[in-house]
Amino acid sequence: MILTETDRKILHRLQSNIPLLSRPFLELGKELDIDEDTIIERIKFMVEKGYIRRLAPIINTQAMGREATLAAVKVPEERIDEVSAIINEYSGVSHNYLRKGKNKHIPYNVWFTMSAKDDEELHCRLKEIETRTGLTVRTLPTAKKFKIGVRFKIY
Amino acid sequence: MTNKKEDTDVKLIKHIQEGLPLTKTPYKDIGQALGMPEEEVIQRLKKLLEAGKIRRLAASIAHRKIGINANAMCVWKVPKERVDEVGKIMSGFEEVTHCYERPIYPDWEYNVFTMIHGYTDDECEAVIQAIKEKTGLNDYVILYSEKEFKKVGVRI
Repeated sequence: MILTETDRKILHRLQSNIPLLSRPFLELGKELDIDEDTIIERIKFMVEKGYIRRLAPIINTQAMGREATLAAVKVPEERIDEVSAIINEYSGVSHNYLRKGKNKHIPYNVWFTMSAKDDEELHCRLKEIETRTGLTVRTLPTAKKFKIGVRFKIY
Repeated sequence: MTNKKEDTDVKLIKHIQEGLPLTKTPYKDIGQALGMPEEEVIQRLKKLLEAGKIRRLAASIAHRKIGINANAMCVWKVPKERVDEVGKIMSGFEEVTHCYERPIYPDWEYNVFTMIHGYTDDECEAVIQAIKEKTGLNDYVILYSEKEFKKVGVRI
């Protein structure tokens, strides 16, 4: 890890909204007691080095009128790479993981999230994955949201 | 797209969804690229945030790179009438980044999903232990990610 104390301070703060003012980094600098040039330079550094994926709007897919769901598939061990590659082809797929139950065996092992412009497109794509793989895709859409807010503790 | 205003908002989001310009005046620079005054960029972003269309204008962190390597999806079997109460308790933990209720099926009976991020598996499991104690729930499965096939931010 090559992040300095200053970087961590900036990183921690950047997980919350940046100011909607003409000079947002100057404002952030006042909050953190770091000058504007340093803030910009360190953010650029952390983007280049891949600590920050992007400093950008985090979109609420549903509020933008899109439909999304979590989905799970029981994939035979020897077909995991093939099936996950098919799922990854779809641009609406934002997460795709191989998961294993630690304290209990769970037959669903490939878990992905997909969004599409509407319900019809979403189900059409999921259906297409089922046809192409010959496997059943179990959809687990959100019934109720209690929390969504990925902010990490930065030590 | 239903109206012109929405078109402009979508255009704006599409222009900045890969990242804001890292300059002293990012909103002015976005405005210049899109032929829009700085103040309009700011007002549109403000409204999109207020309407909840944008959750945050903030950094997405590569959590694995800063050492947050453990990512446990813990699914819980919760009686329907306790879902709200339990959802609130689970959400209270800082390490719980997502908490959702989801449907059940004959072969899937876990209805509450929590995503837990930590520096180590032990840290995640300590949170799970604390949730168990606070809620009295005992039927759960910890699903660790064995492999990441894809992880990107949502784009429009």
